[in-house]
Formats: sequence, C-alpha cells, structure tokens
Amino acid sequence: MRCKLTENMRTVLMALTMSLVMAGCSTSVTRMDAGEVKDLSGAWNDTDSQQVSEEMIRDVLDRPWFGEFSREQKRQPAVIVGEVVNLSHEHINVNTFVADMERALINSGKVQFVASSTERLEIRDERKDQDLHSSEATRKPMGQEKGADFMLKGTINTIIDASGKTQLRFYQVDLTLISMADNRKVWVGQKKIKKLVERSNLRF
Amino acid sequence: MLCRVALLLAASALTGCATYSDSFGVIERSLAKREYDTALIEIEKQSESKNGRVLYLLDKGMVLRMKRDFSASNQALEAAKVEMERLYAASVSENALSFVVNDATVSYAGDDYEQVLVHLYMALNYLELGQLNDARVEALQVDIKLREIGENIPDSKFTEDALSRYLTGLIYEELGEWSDAMIAYRKAYEAYQKYQANYGVAMPDVLKHDLLRLTKKLGIKEEFGRYSKEFGIDSDEVGAMLPEGQGELVFVLNNGLAPIKREKIIGASGPSTSIVVGTTDKRKRVRPAAPVLVNIALPYYESRHNNVLKARISVSGLQTDTQMMENVDAIARASLDARMPAITARSIARAVSKVAIQESVDRAGNKNDDPAVALVGSLFMRVAAIATERADTRSWLTLPANIQLARLSLPPGDYTIKVELFGQGDKITATREYNDIVIREKHKTYLSQHWVLN
Repeated sequence: MRCKLTENMRTVLMALTMSLVMAGCSTSVTRMDAGEVKDLSGAWNDTDSQQVSEEMIRDVLDRPWFGEFSREQKRQPAVIVGEVVNLSHEHINVNTFVADMERALINSGKVQFVASSTERLEIRDERKDQDLHSSEATRKPMGQEKGADFMLKGTINTIIDASGKTQLRFYQVDLTLISMADNRKVWVGQKKIKKLVERSNLRF
Repeated sequence: MLCRVALLLAASALTGCATYSDSFGVIERSLAKREYDTALIEIEKQSESKNGRVLYLLDKGMVLRMKRDFSASNQALEAAKVEMERLYAASVSENALSFVVNDATVSYAGDDYEQVLVHLYMALNYLELGQLNDARVEALQVDIKLREIGENIPDSKFTEDALSRYLTGLIYEELGEWSDAMIAYRKAYEAYQKYQANYGVAMPDVLKHDLLRLTKKLGIKEEFGRYSKEFGIDSDEVGAMLPEGQGELVFVLNNGLAPIKREKIIGASGPSTSIVVGTTDKRKRVRPAAPVLVNIALPYYESRHNNVLKARISVSGLQTDTQMMENVDAIARASLDARMPAITARSIARAVSKVAIQESVDRAGNKNDDPAVALVGSLFMRVAAIATERADTRSWLTLPANIQLARLSLPPGDYTIKVELFGQGDKITATREYNDIVIREKHKTYLSQHWVLN
C-alpha cells in the first residue's frame, strides 16, 4: 500500500509549494535616508535615538548662540535637559533619548551640564545628610549650586500613512533651546526620519 | 491509504475533545468570586498554546487589570498586540490544515473589535496609572487600527469604535489639545449615530455635553447651534457645566462578560439527503455499514447572564449614574453574523473534502484481501472525519458584555467613593467602596470596576 497522489492532492501540494516560495518574503523595512542600520519591526529604536541626539547636539553647538554667549560671558554656557514629550504613536522610551542627548552634550566638552530637577532633589538630600554626618573638611555647603543658562526641551511626533500592507512612518523630533534669563528661543532644531515598512501577507 | 489514515489520526490528536469556550468555566467562577490569582493560574495553563497565544495574553491582561495590577496588565496586552501583528500574515501551513481538520487549527489573531479594544484597555490602564502621555499613544494607535479596518473591510459595521474615540477626546482635552479633542468627539458622535442603528446604544449624555462645551470654547458657533438644537440643551446650561478649579472622577464599569461562542452541529449522511440537527452526543451513532458520514460544526454566540443594569456613584453627597457607552455583546454578535457566510462556506468545503477522503479510503479497502482491515479503515475514517469537525469557538472571553461610564466634577481632595450596582427594578445587587481616591485640580482621575455575576 503506497500513497498514490490523486489529481486533487497534486493540486493542493502544488499550491502549498507555491505559497511556501511566496512566504519567503517576510516583513521588510526599507530605511529611506540613512545607511547601514539594522531595523527589525520598523518602530523607533536605539539607532534612531542615538542618531537624532548626536546630530541635534552637533547642530546646536555649531550655531551662533554658542559663540555669542561665550564672547559675552567669557565662560561656557550651562545647559539643562528639560522634558522631551512623546507625542508619537509609539511607546518611545524618552529617558534613553534624553540620556543619549546628555551624553553627546557632555562629551562635546563645549558646554557645562546641570543635573535635572529629579537628580537635584536627590543631591540636595545627600547634602543635607552631609551637613549632619560628614567631616568639616569634606562637607559641601548649600546654596552653591550652579544655575543653568539654557534649557533644552522638545517633542517627538509621528505621522503614519498606511495603505494595505505598506506603511510610511515619519518621525519628527523638534528640540528648542530656551534662554533661562529671558525666555528667548536661541536655537530650534529639527530631525526627520522616514521609514517604509512593508508587512508580509504570508508566513509558513 | 495508510498515509491518509495517519494524516487524520494526527489531526484528531491535534484537536482535543473540548472546544475552547468549554474550558472557560473554572476561570469564570474564579472571577465571580474575585479570586483573581486562581483565575490567573488557570489562564497560565494555556501559556504554551501555540495557536491560542493571543487569547492567553488577552485574558491574562484583562484579569491582571481586574486585580488592579495595571503595569503587568499592559505588559501582557502589549505582548498580545505584538503577536496580533505577527499573525497579520496568514499562515500557509495552518490554513492548509484547517482545510482538512477545522478552523481552530489557525492561530487566533483576534476579531476586529478585539484588536481595537486591546488599545482601549491599555489606554485605561495608563490612565489609571496616571500616565497621560502613554494613554495618548494608545489613542493614536486606535486611530491607525480603525483606519486599517475601514480600509480592509469598508462595508463592515464595525469601522468606528465610539468609546475609544470618546476616550481619545478625554485624553486630548486633559492635555489641552483642544482641536484634537474636538475631532475625537466629532468622530465619537458619528460613531454613536451608527451604534444607535446597529447595536441600540444611544448617544451618551456625557458626549453631548462635551460637544457643546468644546464647540462653545473653540467658538464654533454654527456647530454649537446644531448640537444645541439636536440635543435640546440651551446655551445657559452649557456655561454651568464648566466648573473652575475642579477635578473630575471618571468611573468605568466593565459590566458582566462578553458572549461565549458555542458549537452547533449539522450532521449529514450520504447518499441520502436527510439532514439531522443534533447535539454533540448524537454523533456517536455510527454504524460500520453506514454510508459516507459528514457533519458541519458552526459557532454561535450565547450571551452570558448578568444581573446588573447600571451603577450609581456617590461621593460626599453628590451622585451620578453610569451610562452605556459600548455594547460589546452586540458588537461581537454582529461581527460573527458578518463572518458566518465565510465560516459556513469553509465548513461545507471541508465536508466535501472529507467525503472524498472517506470514499477513496473505501475504494482502497475494497482492493484489500482482508475485509476486517478494510472495515476498520473505513470506520476509522468516518469517526475521524466527524471527530475533527469542530467549530472555532475562540473569542476574548474576559471582555465585559458592556462598558458604562460616569463622570463627576469634584473639588480637589481625597475621597471615598461608593459604587452601588443596580439590577432589575432598581434593586441594589452589590455595593463597593473605594478609599483614598485623589482628585487633582484640572485633572481627571480614572477608576474602573469589572463586575462578574456570581
């Protein structure tokens, strides 16, 4: 007794084989602007976070406000990163993005950096604790904090255009540097990322 | 012949005896007793299920939020979303198997309305956690999902989810994004017009007031006039609805449980054309000498019993009643109705192929020298053909039958909130109290309760 293939079964088998070949093309992501980057789902990832923060910081340090401030004040500006609001359609971890920006800013060596408001609270607690428990020589006095000259804040936005299995994702990160002294916006930066995400119709 | 027998044998091993919905009883009883950990242990048994992973994650997420563990609930629901996205691509192997076995061999990716409600519940979780921006993300994802459904199935009844749109409006409004809130309320308004016709859900009063309030604030006079006339609420009343320096409580009642799919079997034996409709038990009457046997198993929805009609919220002398916002029961039924022609067609096609297999096994058996072997083979094929035909009764069973909502403006402070659940004839079925609910100025505090009948 062996399995004879009837006409019907042969058709089914052929259809199966064909669909298997077609299933080879899985979800593909084509990055439209930058090169050699590995994307998986097409969502905002570490590469985007790094790329945007590095480019933005490079741009912000190249602009005239930096030279003007250094000339007038004869010192480096002190900057603080405020809130970056996620207005996109994805649950973007804004903390890693802020951390990336801080790293890029500090490592540039051109600006001084001030701890954020939550960090400051923790440090103040520690200073209070020092007041009680540390030796006179190592105790740090209160009221000596360095105030920031500028605050960097911004938003992450997305526009999605979808049709069938194709989706165009457009990310726009807007950052603004605001002078703490007079609320002047000294720099506005923008970085756009465009991704084409194609979903597959078949899987095995 | 052997390979065909092996195929069906493997297939019958794949499909257990009970359908998905049969195994839900234990979970339902635990939920009614509010023993969420027991329910979670029971749900965890399905964690290895290959084609029911979405349902496992959805149920887990839902029970975790009943337990008020909103972060863990969001983790489970987010995982469900990822799995749904993966299943967007139709599986070749599963669909091929479904052609000879049954529809339940295909991985369950969630019905359209289920895929939308995941976002709604995630948004509610974030709101109860006080993470407004994350709730906003879910609101945007709902929009993308609804656009996708609208594009794929334009004639579907469920192209808009009214409650999701309304909640989106609430989120935008709290964030001070007035024009986006206005758009969301308008979409909710359009959706409720359809809801009235399709599911018998009337335009909620809360939405009427929001539409009037916001059109007035944004100075859209013509639209304000139109709503004012339609709802019969005049300009003076709208002014009074804007209390300064107040916060707001938004109470969400998840009432009961969504309908459950059951199986009905239509059996047929050829060549006679008589059709017998019977219960599962009757299928055992198989005689060796019987002609070709086929049956068709189809799903139908059975509503679950519930004894609560509405909830009354009482806070420091003020009180308000919940209003129906979403009739999940009706949406689920309409969705199955829309799918029924396709399900029936697939079942018939499957029955035809099973007849063909039975006949070919019989023919092969006739050539066999030992009539006993042939008889066993033929008999086995008949039993297998019938045993493997099961209806796909999978659905998100921990969803509520309907979702109700009430809003109450309160001065900032700490409150104890009393919730009374009303049944038939305005009789109080149950009372719950929530302590230490903080109302902040210009903010909304969300509180939800899921009521499952004991």
